[in-house]
Amino acid sequence: MLTIISVSVIFLGLLFYVVGTTKITRICDAAGIRPHSLFMYHGSFPAILAVAPPLVLLSLWVVADDIVFNMMLEARFPEGLEVEGRQTILILLAQIRNIAEGIIVGQPDDWIIGLADTLSNWRNTSDTIIAGITVGLSVICGLFGISRVKPEFRARNAVEALLLTGLGICSLIAIITTIGIVFSVIFESIRFFKLVPPLEFLTGTVWNPEFEGAARAGSGQEGMSAYGSIPLFVGTFLISIIALSVSVPVGLFSAIYLSEYASKRVRGTVKPLLEILAGVPTVVYGFFAALSVAPFFRETGGMFGLDVASESALAAGFVMGIMIIPFVSSLSDDVISAVPQSLRDAAFGLGSTKSEAIKKVVLPAALPGIVASIILAVSRAVGETMIVVMAAGLAANLSLNPLDAVTTVTAQIVTILVGDQEFESAKTLSAFALALTLIFITLVLNFFALQIVKKYREQYD
Amino acid sequence: MTDIVETIVNCDGVSVFYGENRAINNISIDIGKQSITAFIGPSGCGKSTFLRTINRMNDTIEGCRIEGRVTVDGQDIYDASVDVVPLRAKVGMVFQKPNPFPKTIYENVAYGPRIHGLARNKSQLDDIVEKALTGAGLWAEVRDRLQDSGTSLSGGQQQRLCIARTIAVEPQIILMDEPCSALDPIATSKIEALMSELSNEYTIIIVTHSMQQAARVSQKTAYFHLGNLIEYGDTKEIFVRPKDPQTEAYISGKIG
Ligand SMILES: Nc1ncnc2c1ncn2[C@@H]1O[C@H](COP(=O)(O)OP(=O)(O)OP(=O)(O)O)[C@@H](O)[C@H]1O
Ligand SMILES: [Mg+2]
Repeated sequence: MLTIISVSVIFLGLLFYVVGTTKITRICDAAGIRPHSLFMYHGSFPAILAVAPPLVLLSLWVVADDIVFNMMLEARFPEGLEVEGRQTILILLAQIRNIAEGIIVGQPDDWIIGLADTLSNWRNTSDTIIAGITVGLSVICGLFGISRVKPEFRARNAVEALLLTGLGICSLIAIITTIGIVFSVIFESIRFFKLVPPLEFLTGTVWNPEFEGAARAGSGQEGMSAYGSIPLFVGTFLISIIALSVSVPVGLFSAIYLSEYASKRVRGTVKPLLEILAGVPTVVYGFFAALSVAPFFRETGGMFGLDVASESALAAGFVMGIMIIPFVSSLSDDVISAVPQSLRDAAFGLGSTKSEAIKKVVLPAALPGIVASIILAVSRAVGETMIVVMAAGLAANLSLNPLDAVTTVTAQIVTILVGDQEFESAKTLSAFALALTLIFITLVLNFFALQIVKKYREQYD
Repeated sequence: MTDIVETIVNCDGVSVFYGENRAINNISIDIGKQSITAFIGPSGCGKSTFLRTINRMNDTIEGCRIEGRVTVDGQDIYDASVDVVPLRAKVGMVFQKPNPFPKTIYENVAYGPRIHGLARNKSQLDDIVEKALTGAGLWAEVRDRLQDSGTSLSGGQQQRLCIARTIAVEPQIILMDEPCSALDPIATSKIEALMSELSNEYTIIIVTHSMQQAARVSQKTAYFHLGNLIEYGDTKEIFVRPKDPQTEAYISGKIG
């Protein structure tokens, strides 16, 4: 149904395009004048008007109708039905929806089948209504557009304005979504902090969310669950540092090699190869870390009498570093190549060797871009989850020893939210608090990095 | 000074190739010490290419190859034993477009002395910077803003900064590739005056598209055409009585 409506709206748009251009051609031919704008714009204006608003309306409807139907169904639940919490209601609603779509499992109650019938009826009606409304709206808007088409109408500017609005709306959607995410995280975190004091969360050194319910209900098991996030952040920090100390030097040096030393042919083959690294799914890196690198580190450590955990921060950080190399190298390579040749000429003309020219002229000029690539690497390292889950373990040890098993914030969020969970529990909500802290820390990092860039920026033009 | 007192650059049968393309065709020329020599000729005739053979800047261009012999101060600069680093300190270069480093004015001038280890301490370096800026006629204008960025200067000031940067390493020869083509007449005349002054101490070779500029500043002029050296002699002679019909055509504005 949706497809049919969309296709007919687009068809209407094409129709209005033809009508618009035909109309303007007629008028102008008859009067022997040239219109203000190209014929194309006189066609596009009504066409855009006929397509855009109805399609927006349609997508809003698609999002909204389920919500509306759910509310209406709920109102029709039989009197005296025992429901415990939102969860049950949601399950009942899903059951009704399934039956309406013909998926019947077991022996549903009669009232449920009744409601399912009602739902299919509603759906049919709503489809008819929305089809009518969209097509009607399309025709009305299109006709309005056609009525504006006159030789002196500034169709070009009008189309331009419509496009601008469209672009603006798109960026608005991106911004609003981000704000929405941040706020939902904030609200859930506030609920968490009602259960667990912020001070405990921020300064506690033990992270052990497992004994939920029992502990908080005052059943004598207090102290068994703990929400001190410090081990997680220390773990994140440790693994990120290891990853960066692999990826930043390797990435930066290979960028310098590629942009300054490599011949065109070498660069043409090596650069895409390096970028393939970025395309490998992190799961693959994860089992590479867990199955090859971690045992290797353990055995090597064992030969020197070191006690390396079978899941170690070192293994995870090292593999993560390899994964991040292309982010550093690719972006750095681009900014280094963008440094004007005239600066290199000047340096060589003064008798610099190649490495002096690179160290003293090219790299300082490319610094802002290089820092940007490192920031990108940091955020990748902090956000990377899969490798940590697979290779660094899930034990929230508070340790700065790279040979220990540690865990990170993101890996904990995954373990908390995987599997069954009560939405109201402190354990589940703690994921939001972790996320909030993580967002905050990343923001602060970015802010300082930008300040540093500003301070040391060398402006060339 | 019309006759070459003492030769400092000697080129013998020099040809330059870009890949398979021959850009310079068997050129031999002697350039005199402490004088200004101008290279003129229509666009694409190889003036810049030839200029760059004298400090081996062509080495930085992939696929560029040179044949023949170039000596500076009697030394074959394409000899396998020659290190380009001291060579380029000895033969400095000023480019067409002012290209100061995106560093402070001070750092721009101090760059060369630093990499060549010309100053033992900060106060020696300060002296070198001041002397170079004075030599380039820029000191009075920038003495109070040495810590500003070099790119914040005007075009003409930037070009003089580039000259200061070059003379800070005390070269013997300064190559200038159309140093005034991005400048207005006032800045141009400042640089021309500067060149005349510098020629008491340095040998200057300048590529220029302006006949008047060549006539004003140079003692010797070389006319290039399609990679060949057509005529070389005293500037006065060339501009008044060109021997070659091609030179005459160019000077009177029929070619180029
Ligand atoms: N980097 C390069 N790679 C390949 N060919 C080049 C290169 N630089 C110059 N050439 C070729 O060499 C010839 C001489 O060029 P050159 O730049 O020396 O001319 P020019 O006399 O300086 O010209 P202009 O007055 O326009 O600066 C030209 O045919 C040019 O196409
Ligand atoms: Mg040139």
